[in-house]
Amino acid sequence: MGDTTDSATQVQHGDHIDTIESVDLVFRAQRKLSFTYGAVFFAVTLAIPALSVWWKSWYAVPIWGGFTANYLFVSLLYYVFLWTMAWAYSKQADKLDDRLSTMADEITARTTGEEA
Amino acid sequence: MNTIAIILVIALTIFTIGLSVFSRRFTRTTADFYLAGRKVGSFANASAISGDYLSAASFLGVAGAVYASGLDGVWYAAGFAGGFMVVVLFIASALRRFGEYTVADFAFGRFGSNRIRLLTVVAVLITSLFYMAPQMFGAGTTWQVLVGQGIFGLDAYTSGVIVVAAIIAFYVSVGGMKGTTMNQIFQFWWLAFAMILVVVFAFGSGFKYPTALADESAQPIVNTKAYTVAELTAPDANGVTPYDKAAKIMTAEELAKVDEFIAAGSDGKIPVAFNAGNKLHELRDMLFREPGHRYNTFDQFSMVLALVLGTAGLPHILNRYYTNPSGKAARRSTFWVLVFIGTFYILAPIAGLAGLGIIRDYLAGGGTINAATVHGLLVKPDQIMPTLGEILGGQWLMGIVTAGAFAAMFSTVGGLLIAAASALGHDVYEKYINKGATEAKRVAFGKASVLVFAGVALLIGLAIPKFGLDQAYPALIAMMVTWAFSVGASAFVPMLLTGIWWKGTTERGATAGIAVGLSSAILIIFLNILQQLGHVGKEGILGFFGALTFPVLFTFPLAVLTIIIVSKIDGQLPKNVDAIWMRIHGTASERHEKQHGLDKVGSMFSGGKK
Repeated sequence: MGDTTDSATQVQHGDHIDTIESVDLVFRAQRKLSFTYGAVFFAVTLAIPALSVWWKSWYAVPIWGGFTANYLFVSLLYYVFLWTMAWAYSKQADKLDDRLSTMADEITARTTGEEA
Repeated sequence: MNTIAIILVIALTIFTIGLSVFSRRFTRTTADFYLAGRKVGSFANASAISGDYLSAASFLGVAGAVYASGLDGVWYAAGFAGGFMVVVLFIASALRRFGEYTVADFAFGRFGSNRIRLLTVVAVLITSLFYMAPQMFGAGTTWQVLVGQGIFGLDAYTSGVIVVAAIIAFYVSVGGMKGTTMNQIFQFWWLAFAMILVVVFAFGSGFKYPTALADESAQPIVNTKAYTVAELTAPDANGVTPYDKAAKIMTAEELAKVDEFIAAGSDGKIPVAFNAGNKLHELRDMLFREPGHRYNTFDQFSMVLALVLGTAGLPHILNRYYTNPSGKAARRSTFWVLVFIGTFYILAPIAGLAGLGIIRDYLAGGGTINAATVHGLLVKPDQIMPTLGEILGGQWLMGIVTAGAFAAMFSTVGGLLIAAASALGHDVYEKYINKGATEAKRVAFGKASVLVFAGVALLIGLAIPKFGLDQAYPALIAMMVTWAFSVGASAFVPMLLTGIWWKGTTERGATAGIAVGLSSAILIIFLNILQQLGHVGKEGILGFFGALTFPVLFTFPLAVLTIIIVSKIDGQLPKNVDAIWMRIHGTASERHEKQHGLDKVGSMFSGGKK
């Protein structure tokens, strides 16, 4: 990466340029993806203590041997939830990266073309 | 003397040191020393992150917390794992893209002031110390079970702390990040192997998960605690003494020893057992499968937040994300970390639950163990893993487990020492003390920082029992690690989240947020400690804050609000804010690397050739 140049309006690495327009596009798309998954993650994670405090059937009634729904979810099912979330997010983020890379190059080409 | 077990531990230690010496030839630059040359692939990095992350708290503490507290203990495992979702969703890619050495570098690069860099360094050092303390405590208690006696006239606990601190300081200062990375990879797989063996042996001995959970939940959880004569006979507000509570469940034979201790007016403390109360649903018995042994309503939420947010505030974990070759690799690493540690955390609570019945039956059958017990229970629940190893598989399994415990401490303290050395060496020495330092001098300062910090960790480890902390909390290792999470979650995470996702964050806002989050978290933790030790009452404002076992539910929003309010009032964004924004969220560098194949994983061992 010897040919890297920075300025207030753009950053260039080799043939690839970031402009504030292309970066804002990337930022908004990534924010939407991350915060959507984040909302699901925190909703599920904080629902567990909420149910532990206020829903007796969740924390006090055995459903399998000594397992309550609470114990089963915290000790086993929560990990399945995490793995699914992480896998799905990684795949979507990779796809988004690829899509945005193309779009960023297009925006950059258009912007620099207009300036020229 | 557990000769075979001790030999296994010594073999692991020699192998660990050997790996560091081997990696020395590949550590020539500061990038090598702090970041393993940024060439660690997803699978290797995931193993190393898992080794770094799975500390004594995970290997000894989670099983111990479950053993002592039931479901409230299981939450440690779930929360420790859940924390990586926050890292992968909000922080990993941006941090890697920013491409610096340390969290303090990020703070400086994002906000452009020396003040915030130095404050971040202070926060890194404090968080690392909070995290190192339980590792050192784990070293002492594991030595007590393994060796049972001290060396050079020292007691067993002190010997364990000193030996472990010395070994880690040596191998980290010799091997740097490459050596530490290789050790962490090896140590993670050893830990996983040891945990799997214990659980397999437990199932082999007749343990059945759902049935055991039902059996242990048939009567209330029993607490163990050691008291002096004065404490034992002091009535609480309801006129009930600890002795009265113990007399309800201890056998006549067990109680006779306590009576003898009181009658003789003995010095020191004697452990007793008594039924636990339910802090969440106060009218219900405290059953193993139900929440409430440790945490009231506030703490149920605060603990979850501390664990899931705290991971993103651990400097040694964040540092590891700089070692990924690309943002995609950083995400991939995190997915594998979740698979590795998730599997581990499913097993640890099984070991904790299995330990209850197995140890009780073993002692009832006339068996003896090194760890102190009362009423068929360990006085120190954190000793569950090596004790279980000894009972289930004799010295061989005990050796594998104990070596795993030391591996957990080595890998985590190793990562923390690197983070602390980065903070002192890279962020302070290279930037302020000796800007023109040669590469050799920089690496030498990093190694010296490792030694100094190991010394401080050693002193803290020795101080823990002197202040009676080991008696104040039933599962101290997991508890102390969660304090480190709380400090990190309050100090760093608000700054990182707003710095990455809100362009309007100003330097003054971020600095104020770190200062408020850091100081409020530390203040509340110390109030809680002082309350547990009986120095702060339960009334008034101090009593309220002292009752908060985990401060995050209060301190995290406080720090975020501080950043937002101060930034709004301040309004002075960095002059080059667009350039900074492009650096955090821009993709030109990654596109360029992808085009030229530079995002591929290289070899950690390429630094040796000149």
